[in-house]
Amino acid sequence: MSLGRFALKRSLQGIGVVWGVVTVVFALRFVTPGSPINAVAPLDASQETRQAIAAELGLDQPLYVQYGQYIFDLLRGDMGFSYIRGQDVATLVFGRLPATVELAVAASVVAIVLAIPLGVISATRRNEPVDYGATLLSLGGISTPNFWLGIMLILVFAVEFNIFNTSGRGATVVDVALSVVNAEPFVGTLLTWLAYITLPAIALGTYFMALITRLTRSGMLDELSKGYVQAARAKGLPQTLIRYKHALRNTLIPVITVLGLQLGTLIGGAVITEAVFSWPGLGTLVIDSINTRDWPTLQGSLIVIGTSFVLVNILVDVVYAYLDPEVVND
Amino acid sequence: MPTDNDDHVDRRTVLKYAGTAGAVGLAGCSGNGGDGGDGSDGSDGEDGMDGGDGSDGEDGSDGGDDAFELGVTMGQMDSGLDPQDHAETNTEIITGQMYEGLLDRDKEGGIIAGLANEWERTDDGSVRFVLRDGVTFHNGDDLTAEDVRFSIRRIVFNDVGIVSPQTNDLGSVSEVTTGDGEVTVSFEGYNPIAFQLFATNGDIMQQSWVEENGTDYINRNANGTGPFRLTEYQSGNVVRYGPNEDYWDGAPAVDELSMTASSESSTRVNQLLAEETDIVTNVPPNEVSRVNSSDVATINSVASARIIFLQMRYDVEPFSSQQFRQAMNHAVDVGSIIENVLNGFGNITGQPTLEGHVGYNPDIEPYPYDPAEAERLVEESGYAGAEITLQTPIGRYLRDVEIAQAAANQIDSLSNVSCELQQREFSSLVQDVTAPNIEDRPHFTLLGWGNAEFDGSQTLTPLLSSEGALTILKNDELDGLLEEAESTRDPDERVDILQEANQLAHDLAPWVFMHQQFSVYGVSSDISWEPRADEFIDPDTATQQ
Repeated sequence: MSLGRFALKRSLQGIGVVWGVVTVVFALRFVTPGSPINAVAPLDASQETRQAIAAELGLDQPLYVQYGQYIFDLLRGDMGFSYIRGQDVATLVFGRLPATVELAVAASVVAIVLAIPLGVISATRRNEPVDYGATLLSLGGISTPNFWLGIMLILVFAVEFNIFNTSGRGATVVDVALSVVNAEPFVGTLLTWLAYITLPAIALGTYFMALITRLTRSGMLDELSKGYVQAARAKGLPQTLIRYKHALRNTLIPVITVLGLQLGTLIGGAVITEAVFSWPGLGTLVIDSINTRDWPTLQGSLIVIGTSFVLVNILVDVVYAYLDPEVVND
Repeated sequence: MPTDNDDHVDRRTVLKYAGTAGAVGLAGCSGNGGDGGDGSDGSDGEDGMDGGDGSDGEDGSDGGDDAFELGVTMGQMDSGLDPQDHAETNTEIITGQMYEGLLDRDKEGGIIAGLANEWERTDDGSVRFVLRDGVTFHNGDDLTAEDVRFSIRRIVFNDVGIVSPQTNDLGSVSEVTTGDGEVTVSFEGYNPIAFQLFATNGDIMQQSWVEENGTDYINRNANGTGPFRLTEYQSGNVVRYGPNEDYWDGAPAVDELSMTASSESSTRVNQLLAEETDIVTNVPPNEVSRVNSSDVATINSVASARIIFLQMRYDVEPFSSQQFRQAMNHAVDVGSIIENVLNGFGNITGQPTLEGHVGYNPDIEPYPYDPAEAERLVEESGYAGAEITLQTPIGRYLRDVEIAQAAANQIDSLSNVSCELQQREFSSLVQDVTAPNIEDRPHFTLLGWGNAEFDGSQTLTPLLSSEGALTILKNDELDGLLEEAESTRDPDERVDILQEANQLAHDLAPWVFMHQQFSVYGVSSDISWEPRADEFIDPDTATQQ
């Protein structure tokens, strides 16, 4: 099978998965107790008012009509209308997506910047105090719930020492970039951005960092014991060159796969972190939509989260197939 | 947040140096700091500061050279900016800064003038409002009687624009007519609380603006007559306002107001203590001492117009027995629940109407905590050995689950009744509580009810009259009293009837009368602001310390 056919096959499978996600998400609304009308109407609304609201929102239509309409609208790029917020779902969801992606990317950067050197040092100084320290750190990172870590970070660094902001989002990456273009104070904007994003990025990235540290460490140990490393050593190549050019390069292939997959997880998993930090991303939107029974927005958010997960997966698969053509034939 | 005029990170030490250039730049070009773009949020400052801050002086604020920024953090953001298309408090708070009704309320709940400065009943029982002169919408257009007519009709009639969830909030309106600078509202029958209803509900919008714009636009933009005008709207994230310099009552002292939300109460408290915001809502009792012991903020609480109770369905055993229902009232130690679960933030109640509301009966004493009497009454009712289950929503009211747990335990500790607790997700509980037929409603439930009209009938009728949308009681005598109150034209006589109804409700004991909920705010020491009884937040009355 050629790479193109492989990519096409994976894409078609992806579409199937997305359709599944849409259907499940749509069905959830009807198996969950409680009608959305209750979120719109006051408690003492008369039955006539409730019926009028249901008719206005199209909730009095048979299930299959609503489903058919929903799929039809989705195909036209219309994610529906939030009857709670009175706004277009697509505008709401895509308005929030950049904040979540930004946070997920920042968390990944925090994780990678710390994890890879830590993993390498840990492997090259195996069973030394540095290794034990790194192992302890990564164990701690894996077992610390990120909402707890978030609250602790806020208490210490925002409330106690007043270094960072407790919550919210002050500036975006785009603002930082634009400040250069518009000749605004660049450092000020950058620091504003950092003041808001640092703590949530650490809270969200810690688990990920721990994971990558462990992966890098074991990968490095594995590589360092291989024949080509022994041969390189025998040839008298400098240790640094062997470790960072040859061994690390091979170690990073599985790490990159995990990175790609984890980015999807981060987007979905940012829900709790966003709630703790009031980060105005998709996670907060999901929580708000659940609290207010805003089904159209919840459906839209979950579809976007699900779809981005599928997209990242396909992308990783294709890149992997490109790097290792044998995958295509499996 | 007040005093500095850089953006919202101004207190961050790390930013002080870097921000200086920007701050100086802004201060230089705007007399009092203004609400100009802060560089980070893209605020366009389109309303342009005019130099003077328009403070009318009555609140003692001197305006001065300091910009007065104020931040409010609630539990949840608005559900769109259409003031007539929602039915919850948070949205009311956010839209209420920009939109107003014909009448208004003071902090204690008294009726005061709004967009109408005169109001009276006509001979046929309709109500006439004379509109204030010189009121303009934020877009500069004058307020007209036609706008008022359109707005009222848009709320009450389903065929005018939207199906508003506020349809019933203004009573049974039959028609609205306009005259020269005045509006007359007619009802189906006599409406004794018309002014109470109009003081709480009925925000006025501009007809042409509503008709020219779609729902999505109306929910993201605003064009009201209120003290603040919208400067920036990020759905679910932040709403920013600037003062309405042309406000008929003088522009507010606050130069820039922002409203945000954090569903996590600890996050709200942390924001307050880190001086990122000035007013936070619903501080949980366990965080109160942390706020009070800080030197940057204090707790400011007020008894709210919300009552908490355990309702018992009159038609199912064992609650069909009046003695059994009274026994439950004696079995629950409300005083200790207020003290231990709510840290004192609650007032014990003994009737459906709260103190200060029309129809409150001061002669009614709450049921005393008396387990022995409760056991005796249970025996007398013939339901000794009854097994009951209390249903409670999770997280809808302040410490609802803990309150329900305590009450259920106290009932369970009676020798002849056992009580279990069932926790329910609120919206699924609402489904049951609002079921069309009383037979489908739960037997024993913790609920809360906010009465923003400050009138006893607005609790008694929906919750305890036979035809009430949420009733669990059918009692001819009570129905008769409520019908009488509804048609009585003499206000004093009406109060007497409502007091009688409250006495009857106390004796019938359809509820375990619990407490009046408190609204607990954390307020920055930089400002002076008093909360209101109706849960609305009015930053235009805040002043700098």
